[in-house]
Amino acid sequence: MQRNTNRKALAALVIAGALALSACGGGGGTAGPAKGEDKPVDSLKFYNDKGGWKDAFTQVGAASKKDVGVGMEPVGYSDSNTYTAFIRSSFRTKEKADLFTWHTGKELQDLVDQKLVAETTDQWTKAVADGNIPEQLKQYFTYGDKQYCVPLNAGYWVMYYNKAVFKKAGVTQTPKTWAELTQVADKVKAAGVKPFYQTNILFSFVWFETLLAGKDPDLYDALATGKAKYTDPGVVEVMNEWKKMIDAGYFSDPGAKTEPQAQLKNGDVAMINFGTWFSGNLNTLKMKAGTDYDFFVIPNVNPELPKTSMIFETGPVCSAAGSDHASTVKKWTDWWVTPQAQTAWANSRGDLSFNPKAEVKDPGLAKLNKDVGGDGYRLINRWFEATPVPVANKALEVFGAFVTKPGDPMPGLQKIQAEADAYWAKQK
Amino acid sequence: MSNQVLDRTGARKAPLFGLPAVAVVALLLYLPFLWTTYVSFTDYDGLASPVWSGLANYKAMFSDPDLIGALVNTLLWVVGMVTLPVALGLLIAVLTYGHKWGTWLRLPFLLPYAISGVAVGVIWGFVLQPDGALGQALGFFGLPGAHTGWLQAGPGNTLMMIVAVTWQAAGVNALLFVVGLQSIPAEPLEAARLDGAEGFSLFRHHLWPQLRPITTVVIGLSIVGSLKTFDVVWVMTQGGPGTSSETLALSMYKETFVLNDYGQGAAIALFLSLVTFAASILYLRYQLGDAREQG
Repeated sequence: MQRNTNRKALAALVIAGALALSACGGGGGTAGPAKGEDKPVDSLKFYNDKGGWKDAFTQVGAASKKDVGVGMEPVGYSDSNTYTAFIRSSFRTKEKADLFTWHTGKELQDLVDQKLVAETTDQWTKAVADGNIPEQLKQYFTYGDKQYCVPLNAGYWVMYYNKAVFKKAGVTQTPKTWAELTQVADKVKAAGVKPFYQTNILFSFVWFETLLAGKDPDLYDALATGKAKYTDPGVVEVMNEWKKMIDAGYFSDPGAKTEPQAQLKNGDVAMINFGTWFSGNLNTLKMKAGTDYDFFVIPNVNPELPKTSMIFETGPVCSAAGSDHASTVKKWTDWWVTPQAQTAWANSRGDLSFNPKAEVKDPGLAKLNKDVGGDGYRLINRWFEATPVPVANKALEVFGAFVTKPGDPMPGLQKIQAEADAYWAKQK
Repeated sequence: MSNQVLDRTGARKAPLFGLPAVAVVALLLYLPFLWTTYVSFTDYDGLASPVWSGLANYKAMFSDPDLIGALVNTLLWVVGMVTLPVALGLLIAVLTYGHKWGTWLRLPFLLPYAISGVAVGVIWGFVLQPDGALGQALGFFGLPGAHTGWLQAGPGNTLMMIVAVTWQAAGVNALLFVVGLQSIPAEPLEAARLDGAEGFSLFRHHLWPQLRPITTVVIGLSIVGSLKTFDVVWVMTQGGPGTSSETLALSMYKETFVLNDYGQGAAIALFLSLVTFAASILYLRYQLGDAREQG
């Protein structure tokens, strides 16, 4: 009798397990928008992987409450992988994220393909017509002929430098050409300071990106779309150029654990190639823009190019399709792109805004914002967003190993290309 | 008679009392395990529905040079962890056991066990970075190797991380061995001493054989712990440079949460679980089997 009960219990468990399993399995396929009734709320949660920006988000939340009566409460993650896993798994539940940050490029495309993210075409049309979002940003948010999400931020990649180190090394003018940049590096090196920052994790791609975009931006774009190969001579040349710079002692120790902003502040390195959001990091260390640090536009490696290549990054603010609070989300994002909101957002972090009408307080950044809008620049999508995730991941491993121990770049490039071949074959 | 009835009723009701616990275990352990097993045979990115792909993820696991590298590193960890911290723990235990200041002498070795693996990683990351504490110390004493990149090339970086974990794990192993030593009856040892056994001979012929049960436990724990090595490596090198210090647990995490290849991640998870399970069973069966024969 007892054995019988046990058997029954076991059978019940197995059936329950099988049911639960099939329920789990079915969830993903039908994860499209579940049309719920619209329920307006007076505050929205904003999930983001920028835990360090909590104060700025909170300030903006207070501003939106005041301006349009809809507050915003940030829910920040500091680990990007945990955040991505959380958002991806949230689509399998009934809780739709009203506002969340994401990445443009393939990662956003994944969500669009599965119809998980709300369309914003009408908002874009209006914002572009009003001059609140530059037309050229549209391509990064367009899939098919529709737009999704709105921009969170915009950053240009420039060269930050420690003014005291430049003074000590006798550098009086910022470089306008690649040759001048090399001369500056030599002077700094002679003064006993490492000219450039470099790391072997995550941002290991920065110098590859800078050298390639400054040498052959067409090849850069072709690589991103799978039309060129990582083993092409132009790419090999860039890797060799990079190796030459590493061998010449131009770079800081790539394994150093000290944060880049601290390295610049301490004068361990003279120059750091980062997005304009880095101003915020330096300000946090009580460094003063224009006094302790400044930045300059990185000149092209190839002086023949008609326009200066400017690496550009933008992240989106998205909303899950089928959110219960769709009308509130629209009200808030309509406000978000206005000059009023963007002035508050940019200055709360000491950064730029995607909205050219925002009043940026930092005079250096304000000038850059204006200059880049002119004709002399070619905007280049940051490599991290431009490159498909598996290819980027493999390349980061290869670059990490390369900056640590530079050698023949070909075996590494072949590894990246193998990953790229596999990826692009799947896309056909 | 009444006792028998009670027994039968009790026996009938027993599964009911166990049901909540069984349900929790089934829900939190068996179901995810079954789900992971299923996902490991599919192509799944966490968004679209899983698509059945048969053994593709397993084939990829044994043909991808990076995953093979991770497998080799994991084996290095197993070998390293069943030798270094175990031997050092045994040495500390034997040398301090019975000593007047034994407890105090063992204490410094035990303290690192109180901190988490992540903290160990951070501390040793600073020690081992180029021009870190180790480099500076070597430079101060005029010794070679002051500018060595300890964590910058494989398999040296894995070996240095094994040293870091040894620093943490040796103390607790010593503690376990002391417990083992305390359980050895005093009389036979006294008799052996009277017969002239001392030093290494006393250890080799009298202490070591009696420490066998505790050694089985210590080594068994080391095998299981080393197969799932993650935290220290993640903090110190993130598996790099390149994939030179990646372990299988790290590959599992990267495939799943960085590359969103949940199928591949699940295949590695399942493989790792099976290896851990098989290694534990084989090892315990071998050890306990031997002990039974001897007994």
